[in-house]
Amino acid sequence: MSVLIIIFLTAVIALFAGVFEQGKFSRYIGILGLMIAFYVSFLPEISFFSQYQHMFEFGANAALFTKIAIVITILLFFLGGFSFSNHRNHQSELYALMLFSLCGGIILFGFQNLVTLFLGVEILSIPLYVLAGSNKTDLRSNEASIKYFLMGAFATGFLLFGVALIYGSTGSFDLYKIHEFAVVNPKNLMFILGAVLMLVALAFKVSLAPFHMWSPDVYQGSPSLITAFMMSVVKIASFFAFFKLMTIGFLGITGEWINIIGVLIIITLFLANVMGLAQTNVKRMLAYSSVSHVGYLSLIFYGMNSLSSYNLAFYLFAYSLATVGVMMCLIWVEKLKRETSYTAFNGLGHTEPILAVAATVSLLSMAGIPLTAGFMGKFAIFAQAIDQAPFLVLVAVLGSAISIAYYLRLIMVMFFPKESSFKTSEKVSLTYNIVAVFIIFALVAMGVFPDLFAKQFGL
Amino acid sequence: MSYLLLTLLLLPLIGSVLVFAWKNPASKYLALGIAFAQMLLTFYMLTGFDFKPTVDGVLQYEINYPWSNYIKSNLHFGIDGMSMLMLLLTNILTPLIILSSFNEKPGYRNTFYGLILLMQFGLIGVFTSLDGLLFYIFWEVTLIPIWLIAGIWGQEDKKIQFTTRFFVYTFVGSLFMLIGLIYVYNHSASFALTDLYNADLTSGAQTVIFWFIFFAFAVKLPIFPFHSWQPDTYTYSPTQGSMLLSGIMLKMAVYGLLRWLLPITPEPILGLSGQIVLVLAIIGVVHGALIAIIQNDSKRLIAYSSLSHVGLMTAGIMASAILTVKGTLMIEGGEGALIQSFAHGINVVGLFYCADILYKRFKTRDIRQMGGLARVAPKFAVLFMVILLGSIALPLTNGFVGEFILIKSIFDYSIIAAVIAGTTMIFSSVYLFRFYAKAMFGEGDEEVLASAADLTGVEFSVLASLVVFVIFLGIFPQPILDMVNSSLKFIFTSMMN
Repeated sequence: MSVLIIIFLTAVIALFAGVFEQGKFSRYIGILGLMIAFYVSFLPEISFFSQYQHMFEFGANAALFTKIAIVITILLFFLGGFSFSNHRNHQSELYALMLFSLCGGIILFGFQNLVTLFLGVEILSIPLYVLAGSNKTDLRSNEASIKYFLMGAFATGFLLFGVALIYGSTGSFDLYKIHEFAVVNPKNLMFILGAVLMLVALAFKVSLAPFHMWSPDVYQGSPSLITAFMMSVVKIASFFAFFKLMTIGFLGITGEWINIIGVLIIITLFLANVMGLAQTNVKRMLAYSSVSHVGYLSLIFYGMNSLSSYNLAFYLFAYSLATVGVMMCLIWVEKLKRETSYTAFNGLGHTEPILAVAATVSLLSMAGIPLTAGFMGKFAIFAQAIDQAPFLVLVAVLGSAISIAYYLRLIMVMFFPKESSFKTSEKVSLTYNIVAVFIIFALVAMGVFPDLFAKQFGL
Repeated sequence: MSYLLLTLLLLPLIGSVLVFAWKNPASKYLALGIAFAQMLLTFYMLTGFDFKPTVDGVLQYEINYPWSNYIKSNLHFGIDGMSMLMLLLTNILTPLIILSSFNEKPGYRNTFYGLILLMQFGLIGVFTSLDGLLFYIFWEVTLIPIWLIAGIWGQEDKKIQFTTRFFVYTFVGSLFMLIGLIYVYNHSASFALTDLYNADLTSGAQTVIFWFIFFAFAVKLPIFPFHSWQPDTYTYSPTQGSMLLSGIMLKMAVYGLLRWLLPITPEPILGLSGQIVLVLAIIGVVHGALIAIIQNDSKRLIAYSSLSHVGLMTAGIMASAILTVKGTLMIEGGEGALIQSFAHGINVVGLFYCADILYKRFKTRDIRQMGGLARVAPKFAVLFMVILLGSIALPLTNGFVGEFILIKSIFDYSIIAAVIAGTTMIFSSVYLFRFYAKAMFGEGDEEVLASAADLTGVEFSVLASLVVFVIFLGIFPQPILDMVNSSLKFIFTSMMN
């Protein structure tokens, strides 16, 4: 709770700092505030806040995911780079909105009540509707904003209807009361209907196919930094909420929804990977890849054990780091070339080796090549699910097999041509290189020493 | 804790990092030095190696260190006779492969050599790891460098298409192996080799796992229907890439078949699966050889000949395995396959290098446009001939011993299969002599021949070193047979119960 307050205050300060200076201050204030919040998240919770415990619980899992989300947001703040042209004047609002959205995420990590869940989802999403459209002169950005808003509104409708039905059947918003009710009355039709509606709403939020159709357009249209934020932090938050709701609240009726998720996984993995293969634009390819990762992640619902939430954290952190690694490369290319097709990356490996290697390691991690974090994440989830759902794991493997082709394509474009299409005069900034080295280091370290992460995050 | 093995494992890794970092033409000497030190270290380890342990399958130079509690896996490395042979192959060939590229100017040279050393690191890891997950990790680690080598320095117009196909094929194979291993792991106590051997698996599960894991090996080897990536990749890779791929990398699959597949899933061998593999392997033998006969592209010809030889190794292993599972302990197939792995490694590297030398002289890979080089390059003609004879499996060359034992082991299982597989000896002399005769004798383009020189110092030293092994192993194969005997007995015995 104290973390949430710190980040909220940081956001407010960053917003007002924009009055005096355009953007720069807010960014550093944001970084500073996030670092303080990161430090505070390791401290025991102040007892004053314990009165919120029936709405919000800041347990071990919530703390773990909060730390991950903060780390990723700090990295994104370091990248800065709202590289679109006409918008240099109103940057502090954007940073502040990102922080507000992160607040929503943290509420989702700690929700214990369906009202808190709803609040979290909305606080997470509403700033994003604005952020997606923040490049006002770009039609795609406007389209992204509207599409995201409309889809978000639909999802909210489903969510609220689901909550109403759940409340109608159980008489409570409390997650644990719902859990008890579901264990005692697993066949209550109104309850099951509510659970399914909420599942659909959250499937919209995490973009599980076929509820994913907004995401490629939104991810492509939004400014790249925002896309990276949506692919990483927003995904962590919404997926964790999904996970927590399903595995705590609706645990008693697992049999009713697990098959629905199974079908969604199959559709997601095939659709996203095949569509990803067909893309010529890297940003859009990454959008489909992001959808496909939700498919792999959803295998977490099978063969649940005490390590599952840790496996989820590992995978999400690995995936988010990798996303930042590729997106920073993309932000740089977009800044120079004003476009993000594959050919725009031609020979990047020769002019910006550190950046390109970071992107390569990230892509290999996404593909699940050993000695990277992504491999360990995939491994843990597959190992957990294989006994209960061998067929789904097989589908996931086939999905990975398809996905490797489009990840490789980007690596090949960066390294294989003999000539580079980049001007040598403009070099990438030191901050970018530091973030790149950090990402390479983190991804490899998590892949080589998988236990290291556990110690770092107090598990 | 053995520091010798640890050094052997880490030296190429550290070396590759140094070579990557040192952007200087002289980095090639550093790379060669590290690879050479690695070779000497292997020979030194050989002197302390117990060839005839009292208990079969004893591991020497063991390293065992807990790695991850999260995944029950240990950093467990060790060597038995089989691993030792593979280490010898890797560490003898790597310095020669590095040396063989000294005359070339491939651009970004330090990256090139760094990748070769990284590959060596992966290979040593594959051949020494005794933990399922480590094996898989190193198996994949070898893939990245070879893919980059093929992709960056491959033949310009075709490389993107073929390197992608190569990577996707082998990656898909590996993924299936991973799933198989994970399943076995879930039914055993940990990823340790012995735990995986003793995993509690039903007969049906074993069959599925057998095919999942076999798929990875079948793609790497490659076995008949999974080979379509191989000729193209061998052809369009740079010569050093083809050497690494065919000389060392495919031996990972032979090794994996013996160490990781057969003892974990013995039951399907007895059933239909074992026979299907045997039949596929024999189809590969004949298919590869027949296609090699009509090839005009020198590298493609060698690629298909490799397909044929590898098929024979697999067939030999499977024949012995089937007999063993039926109740009579037979290890000849394994012995033959391992000695043939070693011999084939030496020979195929030699052949690819000869093809490269011919390419440098004639500026073409088409053997129809070559001719008459023997007149101007007698040294080359002799060394090429010896390597060729090794490939054809003439008695007293290294290829003979392996092929003889392999065909004998197939003969023990089925005479008809042995007759069909034995045709490889005839066919290989047809296509290789055709290659040699076209290139070295006959009418050549006089202008080209006038400018063609005999071997340079680098070329001579590489080929001569290979020839030494061809002849030496042809005359004294016994040390290798002794070396692998005890580990094979252990592996084949654990298949019986």
